[in-house]
Amino acid sequence: MLPRRILQFLIIYVLGICALLALKYGAGLSDYVIPGPDDLWRTGTEVFRPFGLDVLNTLTVAILGQVISVVLAIFVGVAGRRATWFGSFIKVAAYNVQAYPIVALAPILFILVGDGWITRLLIAAMICYFPVLLSVLGIMSEPVEDIEHFYRVTGRLRWQLEVKIRAFENLSKLTTVISGSATLAFAGTIVAEFIAANAGIGYSIRIALYQSDLSRILAALFFIGIVLSVYQGLLEITGALVRRTWAGV
Amino acid sequence: MRLACRDIRYRYPGSENELFNGLGFVLEEPGFHAVFGPSGVGKTSLARLLTGGIDDFSGDVAVKGLPIRLYSHNLERLPGWSSVGKHLSRITPPGREAQRETLVEAFGLTGFMDSRFSRLSLGQRNRVNLLRYLIQHFQLLIMDESLANVDEQTREQILLTIKEMFPESCFLYISHNVVEVATFCRKILVLRSPEKSPQAVFVGGQDRRKDARLDERRLQQSMLEIVNAS
Repeated sequence: MLPRRILQFLIIYVLGICALLALKYGAGLSDYVIPGPDDLWRTGTEVFRPFGLDVLNTLTVAILGQVISVVLAIFVGVAGRRATWFGSFIKVAAYNVQAYPIVALAPILFILVGDGWITRLLIAAMICYFPVLLSVLGIMSEPVEDIEHFYRVTGRLRWQLEVKIRAFENLSKLTTVISGSATLAFAGTIVAEFIAANAGIGYSIRIALYQSDLSRILAALFFIGIVLSVYQGLLEITGALVRRTWAGV
Repeated sequence: MRLACRDIRYRYPGSENELFNGLGFVLEEPGFHAVFGPSGVGKTSLARLLTGGIDDFSGDVAVKGLPIRLYSHNLERLPGWSSVGKHLSRITPPGREAQRETLVEAFGLTGFMDSRFSRLSLGQRNRVNLLRYLIQHFQLLIMDESLANVDEQTREQILLTIKEMFPESCFLYISHNVVEVATFCRKILVLRSPEKSPQAVFVGGQDRRKDARLDERRLQQSMLEIVNAS
């Protein structure tokens, strides 16, 4: 699972670099626009340590943001699963708010909280939160009638059991959603760093952009891709372990 | 006990045809009874109506002495997070442990208590599902195809065990097997299409019990009456 993810990323990354180099030599572009292979390699070795630390910094914020958003989404999803006024309100609100680009709200956070760690965390959590919430709401508000029937007619269906049954029956869906939301949390953190921050790989990309240094940008993309592949792979392995332990499959 | 339906009229939302058109019957004795009829005639709908699953019908359902009415069907599943045995232990009312063990043995499930529900065959699943209903408190249990996919010999053993262990309870066994309902059931409620009047008629069955000899001629007679009525 994990090696396959990393291999897939490496193939795509190498193909992308090859396409850029083909464009460079095909169109006769200068090293200033698209650097050559030796420049790419040199920059890669130069920034290996600082970019490695930057991407780990970003990953830390992304993981924390994802955890916050997943916990919050499960809490709200469980609370809003019922066909009550409150449940309907949460569902409508979630559908409407998720349609709004959260990134567009980032400037407000920067004005209110500044460009530090908290802002990055909040934006990561907000970008990650709504897609996870919609999935959790969908799962939690759908009865598993063939299992719940017995507990309902015998008066045993407490809300904890109802949530447990629905979570268990949709375990694959839930773990896939949580694994997929890692990309969103990572993208949110990078966007926050890119707009206004003083740390993280997004911040490094912004500096490289101002210097028009494509080598550094490509090196940053390499680190982002590798770290994200590893993180998602680990989430998938964790999901599979949970399924195996809980469901015995 | 008394279970009486009078002038029941019902159609599913969006359907043009009435499912029940003045359905009426009275059942006044406990025992193992059956609901029989062709597919689509409303057996499952009647079961849901009697147990509160359908309430937007017109007419009267008068129930006396049957406060707890349960409906079980053959598409039910147990949660997959633990073994069948653990699930059964958890849902056994206090004081019914011995009854559960007796049923487990009679249902031929002794060797499957450590298995997860998803690992069982269809017949084993249906047996486990029926068993967990039988150990609950109830006065009326509707068994909707509850022994589907169970072999004939085991089915016979299960039905005889149920009749022996729960003589005071009322059962409505929904089945398409005319031989089975004629053999084991006391009364067979034959449901007919809404165009026919009356829409439901009772036919007497042989109500076979353990160690009792079956009169083949009377069984043939019951079967003929059921087929003619449907």
